[in-house]
Amino acid sequence: MTILIGLMLLVSALASVFILALDSKLSKRLAIAGSGIVLAIAILILVSSLLQGSLSMNESYPYINAFNISLQLQMTPINFILVLMTAIVAFAAILSGNPERAGVKTANTLIMLFEFSAIGLFTSANLFIFFIFWDIGVIALFFMINVLGSANRRYASIKFIIYEIFASSLLLLGIMMIYFYTPVHSFNISSITAAASSIPQSTQELIFILLFAAFAVNMPLFPVHFWLPDAHTEASTQGSMLLSGVLTKFGAYGMLLIFTMLPIANKLAVPIAVLAGFSTIYAAFVTMMQHDIKRVIAYTTIIDMGIILVAIAAMNAFGTYGAVYAMFAHGVTIALMFLSVGCLHHIFGSRDMKVVKGVVSKAASTGYSFIMGVFGITGVPLTAGFIADVLIFIGAIQAFGLAGALPLVGLLMIGAFFYLVVNRSFMMTKDPSQPIEYIGMEEKAGYAILMGSMLLFGIFPFLLLGFSNL
Amino acid sequence: MLALLVIVPLIIAAFLALILRSRTDIVKYIALAGSLLSLLIAALLFFTTSNAVQSFTWFTAGQYALHITTTTAPLNMMLLLIVAFIAPLIFAYSFGYLKTPSEQGRYYFEICIFAASMMLFSISANFISLFIAWEMLGITSYLLIGFWQHKPKAQLAARKAITTIIIGDVSMLIGMLLIWSTYHTFEFSALSFVAVTPALYAAMLLIAVAAFTKSAQFPFTEWLADAMEGPTPVSAFLHSSTMVKAGVFLILVLAPIYAELHMLGIFIIFGIVSALVGALNALSEHHIKRILAYSTIEDLALMFIAIGFNALYAAVLLFIVQAFYKALLFMSAGSIMTAGDHEEDLFESFNSTKNRGLFITTVIGTLSLAGVFPLSGFFGKVAIDSAAANFSSLPHILLYILLSIVDLLSSIYIFRWLFVPMRKAPLEKAFTLNINYRTLPKSMLIPPTILAAFVIIGSVFYVTLTNLLPLPGAPASVTLLDTIIETILVVIGFAIAYMLYVKLKLSGFTEKHEILHGVANSGAEINGFYNHFTAFVGLIANIVWHFDHYCDMALYYSSKGLVKIGTILRKLQNGQTSLYVAAFMMGLLALILLFAL
Repeated sequence: MTILIGLMLLVSALASVFILALDSKLSKRLAIAGSGIVLAIAILILVSSLLQGSLSMNESYPYINAFNISLQLQMTPINFILVLMTAIVAFAAILSGNPERAGVKTANTLIMLFEFSAIGLFTSANLFIFFIFWDIGVIALFFMINVLGSANRRYASIKFIIYEIFASSLLLLGIMMIYFYTPVHSFNISSITAAASSIPQSTQELIFILLFAAFAVNMPLFPVHFWLPDAHTEASTQGSMLLSGVLTKFGAYGMLLIFTMLPIANKLAVPIAVLAGFSTIYAAFVTMMQHDIKRVIAYTTIIDMGIILVAIAAMNAFGTYGAVYAMFAHGVTIALMFLSVGCLHHIFGSRDMKVVKGVVSKAASTGYSFIMGVFGITGVPLTAGFIADVLIFIGAIQAFGLAGALPLVGLLMIGAFFYLVVNRSFMMTKDPSQPIEYIGMEEKAGYAILMGSMLLFGIFPFLLLGFSNL
Repeated sequence: MLALLVIVPLIIAAFLALILRSRTDIVKYIALAGSLLSLLIAALLFFTTSNAVQSFTWFTAGQYALHITTTTAPLNMMLLLIVAFIAPLIFAYSFGYLKTPSEQGRYYFEICIFAASMMLFSISANFISLFIAWEMLGITSYLLIGFWQHKPKAQLAARKAITTIIIGDVSMLIGMLLIWSTYHTFEFSALSFVAVTPALYAAMLLIAVAAFTKSAQFPFTEWLADAMEGPTPVSAFLHSSTMVKAGVFLILVLAPIYAELHMLGIFIIFGIVSALVGALNALSEHHIKRILAYSTIEDLALMFIAIGFNALYAAVLLFIVQAFYKALLFMSAGSIMTAGDHEEDLFESFNSTKNRGLFITTVIGTLSLAGVFPLSGFFGKVAIDSAAANFSSLPHILLYILLSIVDLLSSIYIFRWLFVPMRKAPLEKAFTLNINYRTLPKSMLIPPTILAAFVIIGSVFYVTLTNLLPLPGAPASVTLLDTIIETILVVIGFAIAYMLYVKLKLSGFTEKHEILHGVANSGAEINGFYNHFTAFVGLIANIVWHFDHYCDMALYYSSKGLVKIGTILRKLQNGQTSLYVAAFMMGLLALILLFAL
């Protein structure tokens, strides 16, 4: 019985409250302190469990005793990898994601609230609190877009919340069905997993489809992805970092849960993999027609999440490790890209690849950070994305044969397109755009943190894969 | 593990160069020191360690461990030594070539990482470490080709290079993962003992595609010619010992497996097509470096053909000697360009005879490429001809004829390349040009001289190669017949080039001969094919994007429609009693009518 997970939740919740209550001058310091403590706890857990060789934590706090629901938290390596990613992304977002210094207090409150929900969701051992944390996260990001976003924010945020509310209602329905149809009548994930095979096939199928639809909206997957480009583009830089870096992982983590929880997944794995693969290729084509760099990155999220779902649907060890590693890699890499594009917009007043030229000559750190992000997204060795790709596609090829490698074609297309963007806007320094603003040390520190974690866990993958109980 | 030491000095030098980029006076010496230290370690490895495969676990995933494996096998040591030997020469040449202070830090950082990647490539003995080096090579070459960021052409060339290269990377990744999924191993050595399955055929085919992209073989030739937009030392490095040699070397290492699968034929077919494409384009090209680039494509194609005949010794021989003469020729081209104030057109370059040292080394390189006895290039080329000399069946005879044509063409284009810049400059240019030639920095003249020495003494590899390297297959041999044929072809080529470019002073070869122009300009047609292909992909993307957009709009308008329906229905509940009463009466009337009828 440890208290570290509860401590992380407590710190982030308290930080959120204090930032809201206290003077706005203190808000950034408080937020840095809060998210810094969470990150420090995460690193502490990493170091101590590396020394032990395994990682397994369970915590339980009383919550609604009348219904026998408690705040059950667990930390296995899979949960931990996602928590660490959340801590890194949130810390970097608070430190550097706001080059305009606009709405600092609101932003920091919401980020800490979102961090609270994300850590809670990734560690919840109980579907009831999973749902609660899910909705807190969605609401926090709704305000993030609605209050702090750019010109078209109201449209984008309403669209986002309609899709997400739809998803959460399906999620709630699914969770309730699980509760009523499992003989044990429990919300606990491990007891559901143990008892799930006794649920009748047709009911299981219905539950699976309900939950799958909910998570597919969040991930997002092809037919229900329409909220994503608008939400990501209109959100503030911090909002996009958290949306793409962390929120989409809610869905991916949920997919991982239902694939391990419900035995019916075996039957549905192939069609889901086909859908995910199609989503990847589809998004790759759509991406190629964009010229707003932020929108390009938004669409690549669909590609990467499709690849992650292919890995989950492979339902073997490599696929699962790969999916989790890819969630980590994608989280830090996409956050780096959104951060650099946000700073790019701040510096040049535009992020249209037809307008911005010669970034590396006028804003070297931003330009090279974006290029590093491109390397990470396309899975160049020595970035975390490479480890993820190797694991994912070993799993996918084992499960689906050579067809499992098809999503790599999507990655190839997006790589080719990214180099076009890099060439046109970043590398070609003839007649460069003139900067109208500059970024400070904080933004550069953010680049360093995200780039550092992308490379650290790409060069030393055993830091996250070395647990004996992975 | 021990072998990995060789890249450490270069990596340290690279990051020192990056950190100290403002100290432009010392950055280049750091890089040179790093490369010399690497050469020292490579030499020590070559002379002290025996053939040893070392492996350490990179990470474990579940029950499987993924290793990084290095080897000090003679073949790998040969490549390592070539890279380590050429690198300091290239760096030294860069001293004189690259004068802009602000570029130095970035340049030496990128080229040190590039050299280190190639060294890692040369010592890697499994797919994981190979792939790391493979991708790092691709990325650093992308950065180096597009090094001059103010030149839009350089950026386009870099993009073409990286786009071609990532096709190879993905192909390679799928191939190696397919091998892992089937056999649970990434080791090259283990592949010889596995059972043959269809997956192995597919994987080896994908790896061959990857090798073709990296070595710029047909149909992936064009990026290499465009890559000439990069700085000349980079071209010299890229074409002699790094990058393009990676593809050939990979196939060389895996040749026994290809032989076992009876897949060597693809190398002969693609090799001869690439050789013809390279030689013909070199003949029609006017850009002083692009001629050499197409010539590299031809050289590499010859190596692939040799591998296709399982004549590994012949392939290795050309592999070694080509590194010396091609680096030398590129350095000469760079010097001629520097003297001519970065003039890239062959027919606008003059007076190359004015610097005696430069001219002599250029002639040595040219003669070696043409294949003149007893320079090293002769042995490399003729060994391959001899390997292909098999007159038992029609295809073999045809192949030999095509190879002879390639030899003849290469002799013509390289003498053209030599003769045209020898012409006398127009008076208004001659003065500055002569001064430029006389004041070429020492750092640009000493490295080619060293290389010229190696071009001459490289012939000894013909004799000693069998002792140095244990390889399967017969040792490289040069038969008398092939020697005579090759010599005749070189003389004919020399005579043609002399007639056309010295006697007749033609300004172009192919413009006046329309048919020949079409054949000799196949590079443009390959480009055209890719343009059509990308246009096709763009069309699909356009359709998909419009579909996406209209779906989004349909959802938007259907939600608007829902709101509209709500607005209409709302009017029914407006609280006016008269309306309610009227509606009630209407309804009552309707009911009465319904029952009455």
